[in-house]
Amino acid sequence: MTSPLDATPLNTTVCPRCEEPAVRVMTTSPVPGRWIMYVCDTCFYSYRSTEGCTATDPVVYPKEWKVDPAEIPGMLAMPPVPQRRG
Amino acid sequence: MAYADLREFLEALQKNDQLLKYSDPVRPEPDLSSAAAATTNLTDRGPALLFDNIEGYEQGKGRVALNVVGSWPNHALMLGLDKDTPVKEQFFEFADRWNAFPGQVERRADAPWQEHTLSEDIDLFRLLPLFRLNEHDVGSYIDKAIVVTRDPDDPEHFGKQNAGIYRIQVKDKDRLGIQPLAAHDIGLHLRKAEERGENLPIAIAIGNEPVITTVGGMPLAYDQSEYEMAAAIQGAPYRIAKAPLTGLDVPWGSEVVLEGEIICGEREIEGPFGEFTGYYSGARSQPVIRITRVSHRGDPIFEHLYLGKPWTEMDYTLALNTSVPLYRQLKADFPDVVAVNAMYTQGLLGIISVKQRFGGHAKAVGMRAMTTPHGLAYCKVIIVVDDDIDPFNLAQVMWALSVRFHPQHDLVTVPNGSVLALDPSSDPDGIVHKVVIDATTPISPETRGHYSHEVADPSATAAWETILKGLIK
Repeated sequence: MTSPLDATPLNTTVCPRCEEPAVRVMTTSPVPGRWIMYVCDTCFYSYRSTEGCTATDPVVYPKEWKVDPAEIPGMLAMPPVPQRRG
Repeated sequence: MAYADLREFLEALQKNDQLLKYSDPVRPEPDLSSAAAATTNLTDRGPALLFDNIEGYEQGKGRVALNVVGSWPNHALMLGLDKDTPVKEQFFEFADRWNAFPGQVERRADAPWQEHTLSEDIDLFRLLPLFRLNEHDVGSYIDKAIVVTRDPDDPEHFGKQNAGIYRIQVKDKDRLGIQPLAAHDIGLHLRKAEERGENLPIAIAIGNEPVITTVGGMPLAYDQSEYEMAAAIQGAPYRIAKAPLTGLDVPWGSEVVLEGEIICGEREIEGPFGEFTGYYSGARSQPVIRITRVSHRGDPIFEHLYLGKPWTEMDYTLALNTSVPLYRQLKADFPDVVAVNAMYTQGLLGIISVKQRFGGHAKAVGMRAMTTPHGLAYCKVIIVVDDDIDPFNLAQVMWALSVRFHPQHDLVTVPNGSVLALDPSSDPDGIVHKVVIDATTPISPETRGHYSHEVADPSATAAWETILKGLIK
């Protein structure tokens, strides 16, 4: 039987959503070898190795859901950070 | 009937054939959320789902409970009623119990979640089978937990301690993102903490008996305690216990208690997340939580909420705790209001039944709904019906609309009203026209139409309803 981790070569470096090379392993399955959870340190998108390629592959990740890393610092803060009391 | 914890409620569901245990292997994505969506798509009498064989977790150890209150029988059982109790009766029972507020709390030192504690090497994915709910969510979320914070300027005030439900993105093994909107009680707590230059201590209690989950979504006043309201709704003192790191009061019966702090001044990208409106809300820069202590039962159950295109479990959990406050506020001004059904997308659409006193009365009631505290952000469409119509019976409501509503006389449009920004029709965000649809029978001095010869049910119909109810059961 093929392990889910052997089934397809998986993207483990470039974020499917923001395309920054900022992906790292966040954690692995409690039963060893069943899945790996990845996270992007730029946009905090996370995905499991067993999900479909539209969740894991930057090439086929849907364009309308992508994020431009340059826009992240200027995103609306909700709620805004208040001024400290004098 | 008060349930001590989630496990006791699941047992009650099982006794009533309202729990489906599923032990065949399932994938975290997309099986778990698909099963929850499928249940509410198929029926409004569906069971709770308990999965115990999830890929990557040892069978029996990684468990997920979904759709726990996701049907009218389960909602009735939450209230300790017969599972076949009609929705309108559940509404009046809920409204009656509200009058018992504030109930008592019972402080206990021996909570079952004290069995295991962790303060190093915390990995929430090892503890709970976290998973993506909707395809374009940014990651895994916790969206049914009781989130507890205190007012930093008045930390000893029990009523100002808030126990609410918020969407929480799991950003790392021990790091979360949260959406504490400025208008929410937790938003006020965070603002005060940040004005003081302090982190805000927080406790997140996962896996609870269903009453506190229902109360967690209630629009209570700032200084009203959710635990005292839970006591009123369940008709018995509500058990709480102190979380060890923060001293915050959390439900005694929780499966897991996470503790940490919202980090002062920090904002990070969060979202998108599929919301209760049936649409995604986009990415924003939102506060961050660092988890430093975990307490949990052995083999905890991850109780989770699927939400997305209605109806989902959230529509059941919010149905009456949205309808009843609106009813109480309207009733204070208009005693002629009979019942309120505001359970469509949290009251964006509401149906009010009223015993009219004069022509134009129903329209006034409809417009008042829009200016109640809840109506300021909801009540975009208000349908008003007579007192002979059960607002929870859509067949009756549609009949009233089809024969008693006149488009020329009975449509009142209020331009540019306020609405929650999540309403996808609002333009700009948070502004929308609102409408009252008056489907009541015209009465004096508004004499029009041909309504004098209404067909009544045959004389023994009510008696036969009772006979047949017994036989069908």
